[in-house]
Amino acid sequence: MAGSDEVNRNECKGAVPIHTWVLISNFKLAYNMLRRADGTFDRDLAEFLDRRVPPDARAQEGVSSFDHVIDTSTGLEVRIYRGAAAANNGAAGAGAVTLPILDFLAGAPSPDPFPVILFFHGGSFAHSSSGTAIYDNLCRRFVKLSKGVVVSVNYRRAPEHRYPCAYEDGWTALKWAMSQPFLRSGADARPRVFLSGDSSGGNIAHHVAVRAADAGISICGNILLNAMFGGTERTESERRLDGKYFVTLQDRDWYWKAYLPEDTDRDHPACNPFGPNGRRLRGLPFTKSLIIVSGLDLTCDRQLAYAEGLQEDGHHVKLVYREKATIGFYLLSNTDHYHEVMEEIADFLRANL
Amino acid sequence: MKREYQDAGGSGGDMGSSKDKMMVAAAGAGEQEEEMDEMLAAVGYKVRSSDMADVAQKLEQLEMAMGMGGVGGAGATADDGFISHLATDTVHYNPSDLSSWVESMLSELNAPPPPAPRLASTSSTVTSGAAAGAGYFDLPPAVDSSSSTYALKPIPSPVVASADPSSTDSTREPKRMRTGGGSTSSSSSSSSSMDGGRTRSSVVEAAPPATQASAAANGPAVPVVVMDTPEAGIRLVHALLACAEAVQQENFSAADALVKQIPMLASSQGGAMRKVAAYFGEALARRVYRFRPTPDSSLLDAAVADFLHAHFYESCPYLKFAHFTANQAILEAFAGCRRVHVVDFGIKQGLQWPALLQALALRPGGPPSFRLTGVGPPQHDETDALQQVGWKLAQFAHTIRVDFQYRGLVAATLADLEPFMLQPEGDDKDEEPEVIAVNSVFELHRLLAQPGALEKVLGTVRAVRPRIVTVVEQEANHNSGTFLDRFTESLHYYSTMFDSLEGAGSGQSTDASPAAAGGTDQVMSEVYLGRQICNVVACEGAERTERHETLGQWRNRLGGSGFEPVHLGSNAYKQASTLLALFNGGDGYKVEEKDGCLTLGWHTRPLIATSAWRLAAP
Repeated sequence: MAGSDEVNRNECKGAVPIHTWVLISNFKLAYNMLRRADGTFDRDLAEFLDRRVPPDARAQEGVSSFDHVIDTSTGLEVRIYRGAAAANNGAAGAGAVTLPILDFLAGAPSPDPFPVILFFHGGSFAHSSSGTAIYDNLCRRFVKLSKGVVVSVNYRRAPEHRYPCAYEDGWTALKWAMSQPFLRSGADARPRVFLSGDSSGGNIAHHVAVRAADAGISICGNILLNAMFGGTERTESERRLDGKYFVTLQDRDWYWKAYLPEDTDRDHPACNPFGPNGRRLRGLPFTKSLIIVSGLDLTCDRQLAYAEGLQEDGHHVKLVYREKATIGFYLLSNTDHYHEVMEEIADFLRANL
Repeated sequence: MKREYQDAGGSGGDMGSSKDKMMVAAAGAGEQEEEMDEMLAAVGYKVRSSDMADVAQKLEQLEMAMGMGGVGGAGATADDGFISHLATDTVHYNPSDLSSWVESMLSELNAPPPPAPRLASTSSTVTSGAAAGAGYFDLPPAVDSSSSTYALKPIPSPVVASADPSSTDSTREPKRMRTGGGSTSSSSSSSSSMDGGRTRSSVVEAAPPATQASAAANGPAVPVVVMDTPEAGIRLVHALLACAEAVQQENFSAADALVKQIPMLASSQGGAMRKVAAYFGEALARRVYRFRPTPDSSLLDAAVADFLHAHFYESCPYLKFAHFTANQAILEAFAGCRRVHVVDFGIKQGLQWPALLQALALRPGGPPSFRLTGVGPPQHDETDALQQVGWKLAQFAHTIRVDFQYRGLVAATLADLEPFMLQPEGDDKDEEPEVIAVNSVFELHRLLAQPGALEKVLGTVRAVRPRIVTVVEQEANHNSGTFLDRFTESLHYYSTMFDSLEGAGSGQSTDASPAAAGGTDQVMSEVYLGRQICNVVACEGAERTERHETLGQWRNRLGGSGFEPVHLGSNAYKQASTLLALFNGGDGYKVEEKDGCLTLGWHTRPLIATSAWRLAAP
């Protein structure tokens, strides 16, 4: 056993740059301590270890952010990112940055179209927040490549808040975004909303998009990064890659157990949308999707099957399959995967604005 | 751009040569001069570039020790006991410093030390939500003369609160108050009605707090949080800010016109926003009309201040958090010491100390002998409040069998203190020297009103050579040279504060009207905070004592005065979180760890910061 463990480790280390290895291994280590065998979660230690950054109304590298409570009954909060030109010129004190934010929020639709990316951070439904540094960083990147506004949703997490809380929060955020004048743009003054997310965030984006389609709400597109799906049966990639590249089936199972209603299994439609208990989407005005899949993510088969399922039902899918990428490649800018995927995202946004 | 990857050792990690590199680097440069890896810094981790390979190696070792990474996950080889030990018993410090974090876990592997002393007498594995750890709060009832408002009260036993609201009906939509169109300042749309029940009405909050780990080329972050608010709320904030701007520009006729609008705009608001606007409006009016607060009715003032302080203590967790986290650091610093001495720079009613005495009484090996020096302002009436506090604490200590001594020191300002005043009485050459903790809760910022005062006080602190110095301050910069900035910062800060009082007061009821929420404690707390607002906005010079500064600023001051940080760890964090579960509206409160300090805030806005210090190595 020791021998093959070592082989696994070396393969994994060989597959990613050292920074990525350090970062993702750190998460793996920390998360291991937080998941308890009895299904409970050490939330305090999780919050303590989570590296967060405050929003910053002063432009950093051309992007500024602020937090906004969009639903006072649940306390649902989002972090809104926008470009500096819209914000301020880097002036010093709080006085200078506050009024522009108030003006922004109370502002009228903009004549020039811009995308609004509603972003759901990953963390397998249990970890991270909109303020977590890796996601704050990613959202800032999205602003730069989209020249738009990013709204990162601080949805309620498992196991304290199971299905369907995360989807409810996503839906609340979507309805909020669709109704804000300051998020509308273009000659027709409409909100140009894209749903996006990685890992559990991708899963949330899918389900919110379905609900939007059911309600006749028009979304410009879905951008999914290693979206989290599962099922009771094991797929080939799950068997082949279990424990090889940072992720194990055991931890995947734990997170589903923590999110899904008790007494259900991984064929619940939240987890397995096109599975035995799922629902096909033929005939539904479901949005276009950009689906990014890492070949070294043990659930890649499921993500590929998801993409296929959408296509079979007549929906537009742009699939970006990065054979040699692991999970989390989009968190650091040190690989081709990162740069090429960011370009794909930029292209997709432009094409569907 | 694409190909310029900032990788140290490249993929595959060649460990050997990197280690040599690291050793060479360490020999050559001082700690501060080593480059932090930028890429990881951007995501919240501080790792020296030269340490990267070493950190990778340690992570690997730890992985192997935990039996992780094999096929089937943490399967047959997993050391669940060790993992659980790391989660529950180990205290984690400063997770941003990956190298030392991993290192400390590795050393747990090799020789797990006994669990760190903690305020809870039982090891509290805090599961998500419920308050566990019964031991800490079960204090014997304090001996008190219940007629006095200043009676020491034990922290009550925890109500096991289910901290998680049932998934609320989030399909219920908040009323949409905002209409589109127009810039707010010129808009004259109809004033909006109030959402009577749950108006969360404070608007923006912002402050430049501690410097971020991530690259912040322009300086410290200016975080802003906006609550969902009707349009009239935005107009109100606009008016307040515009008035402050006019004051800054000394355009008093414009300021006058604007200050008169505020009451009307405020009256259309409810809850926190209305109250905050009222306090700020009044403070602005005082400034505009040169209405200085009557100087120093200090005899009345000190008593009133204490009274309000006590209500503030009861109504919200900020002071309790401050005491709790400071006590945890002091307790750890006193580990193994037989004679300890705490110097409290602002003893007031001594609310902080029963809990520490209790924890010391319960520690393995028994309590040390405990000396307390309580500093307080001069009183001009007959009652000697300072001595009374000492007496009550002595009685309490007696009931829990802790050897206790007290000395009260009267000082109009901390700058009047001299080291000799803090020395023990008498000749005790035979005894073990006492180990000293200096504790300052909301006292240091006052010193900034007098040039040289802080330096004097820090010099005195250094002279007594304390083992630890605990500092709690408001997490905000209310001391900017620019009036408008000061005004804006404090508007944001106190909006959040008031909002949290509102939230705590009305809890989860849906029909609380503002008047009913919270009761006396809340009202008195608002008065308490209102006095601070007035001071920040309407006063100048030596009178302006509420000169709050941020953690980052205090770090610079203390760091530059011969002190170095002592990190607060995950145990203090966990227990602070448990404390919060006791409060209504507990969900809104947030404890955060930042560079070894702990902050307590409301939603994402930190409001209070606790830090701990010791003398830097010479």
